[in-house]
Amino acid sequence: MFKNEEMEINLGPQHPSTHGVLRVKLRLDGETVTHCTPVIGYLHRGVEKICENKTYFQGQVWTDRMDYVASISNNLGWAEGVEKLFGIEVPRRAKYIRTMLTEQNRLASHLLWLATHALDIGAMTVFLYAFREREYLLDLFEAFCGARLTTTAFRIGGLREDLPPGFIKKAQAFQDLFLDCVDEYETLLTENRIWKKRTIGVAKLNAEDCIALGVTGPVLRAAGVPYDIRKAFPNAAYAEMDFEIPTRTEADTYARYLVRLAEMRQSHRIIQQCIDGLPEGPVMAKIPKILKSEVNEVYHPIEAPKGELGYYFVGEKGGLNPYRMHVRAPSFVNLQALPKMIEGRLLADVIAAIGTLDVVLGEIDR
Amino acid sequence: MSMLRTLIPFDIAGGMALTGKYFGKVFFSANRKKIRTQLKHFTQEYPEVKVNLAPRYRGRLTLLKDEQGEIKCVCCLACEKICPTEVITIEKGKKEGRKMPFPVRYDFEMERCIFCEFCVESCGFDSIILNHQFELATYNREDFSIGMEGAGQNMFIPSPVGRHSVAED
Repeated sequence: MFKNEEMEINLGPQHPSTHGVLRVKLRLDGETVTHCTPVIGYLHRGVEKICENKTYFQGQVWTDRMDYVASISNNLGWAEGVEKLFGIEVPRRAKYIRTMLTEQNRLASHLLWLATHALDIGAMTVFLYAFREREYLLDLFEAFCGARLTTTAFRIGGLREDLPPGFIKKAQAFQDLFLDCVDEYETLLTENRIWKKRTIGVAKLNAEDCIALGVTGPVLRAAGVPYDIRKAFPNAAYAEMDFEIPTRTEADTYARYLVRLAEMRQSHRIIQQCIDGLPEGPVMAKIPKILKSEVNEVYHPIEAPKGELGYYFVGEKGGLNPYRMHVRAPSFVNLQALPKMIEGRLLADVIAAIGTLDVVLGEIDR
Repeated sequence: MSMLRTLIPFDIAGGMALTGKYFGKVFFSANRKKIRTQLKHFTQEYPEVKVNLAPRYRGRLTLLKDEQGEIKCVCCLACEKICPTEVITIEKGKKEGRKMPFPVRYDFEMERCIFCEFCVESCGFDSIILNHQFELATYNREDFSIGMEGAGQNMFIPSPVGRHSVAED
C-alpha cells in the first residue's frame, strides 16, 4: 500500500532561504535527506577572466562584486595581493585605517548573516535589530569612500584619501553602543528554547572533515581548530592588534552562532584599538603611475568574514595586467561541506545548514 | 532548577521584554511631536524626505566649466583610459582662441557605468566630478547616453531623471 519511494526536489534557485541563486537538488526519503547536490553557476560573470584583461588598478572594482556583503575585505585582499606582487610598502596610517574598515565590514557581514540566518530559522525580530546597526556601518562606509556596498575602498599603495572629518567621532559613537546591541541579540536568541532546538546538534561537521574539505572561517573555528589568517599570517596591522580567536568544540550550528557573536566582540576590540592608536602620517605610498610586473607569482590570503580569502596572481614580464588571476573564495570551498552536513538529516535542517555556512552566491559563482 | 526553567519560559520572556521595551518607546511617543523629535530614527521616509548623502557620495559623472564658462577638460584621455567599463568616449578638437585641446564630443554611457570614481581620481585638471544624483532610472535606453549637447541628456547639468521619482507624483 505504501510504496517506499525516494523523491527528488529542488530547493532554489529562487527560494527565499538560499541567500542568492543557489539550487540544491535533494533526494528525500520521507522527510530525511538521503542525497544532496548543490548546483551553482547562476551568477557566473567570469570575474577572474575579466580581471586578466584589466590593469592592476582597474581590477579592484570586480572584487566588490564578488562577496558583496563584505566588499572591503575583498578590496583588502586585492590591494595587498598586488602590493605583494610589486613589493610596495604601505604607510602605517593606511594599514590602520584598512584594518579598521575591514573589521567594521566584518561586523556588517556578520550582522547580515545573523539577521538572515535567524530569519530563515524563524526568529524575525533579530533581523530588524541587526539591520539597524548594519545601517550605521554602511553610513560610515559611505562617508569614507562614497558607496555603501560596492565600496572600492582601497588603492594600490594605500588609500585614495584620508578619513573624512568626523569619521572617528562617528565610529566611536558606534563603538559605544555596539556591545549593548550584541547583548540584545543574545537576549533574543542564545537562551531561546526554539532557537536552541533548531540549532543544537544540527549540521555537525567535525574538525577532521573540515580540514579534509578545506573549510575555513567560523565553521572551522566552531569545530575547535583555532585557525585564523589574522593570527597565522598577519596582514595589514593585525600583528599589532591584541585579540583572541574564539573557538568552540561542539561543531554544530549553535556553536557557529556563538563563535560568530564572539568574533563580533573581538572585532569591536580591534576597531577600538585602531581608533585609539591611529598613527599620523601619509596614507599613500609613492608608486609609479604605470605598474609593470615581472615574471612572478603571489598568493595572498586574508581572513574574510566567511573564511580564508586568497588572491593568486601570476605576472608576466612588462605586463600591465595579471597573466593569471585566481580567487580562493571561502564561500565556494565552504559550500562543498553542505552534503556532508545534511545527508541523513531532516529537510528543515537544510535551511539551517545553508544559513550557518554563510554563503554568498556572488562569491561562489564569480 | 532546570525543571523550573523548562516550565516557566524565562528565555522567551526575556526576548519579549526586549521587544516590549522598543515597542513601548515607539508606542508612547507616536503622536507626541515633542518626544518624537528627540527619538533617533533609523529609517528615513525616503521619497518624501530627502536622503542625507555623505559629501563623498559617488553619483553621476558631470563635466565642469571654469569661471569664464570654458570647458575645463583638455582631452588628456586619462579618464577614458582608466575607466574599467569603458563608458567614456572623447573626441579631440580645436577651438579658436584656446591653446589647449577642446573636447568636441564627450560621450558617457551611463548604463554601463559602475560609479567607481576612477575617472575623477585620474583627472589632473579637476574637470570632472561625480555629483550626488542617484535616482537615475529612465524609461528609454537612449536617455542613458549622455553627451555635451541637448537639454535632456547633458554632461554639464544633472540628469532630468528623478522625474520618475515617487515624490514627484
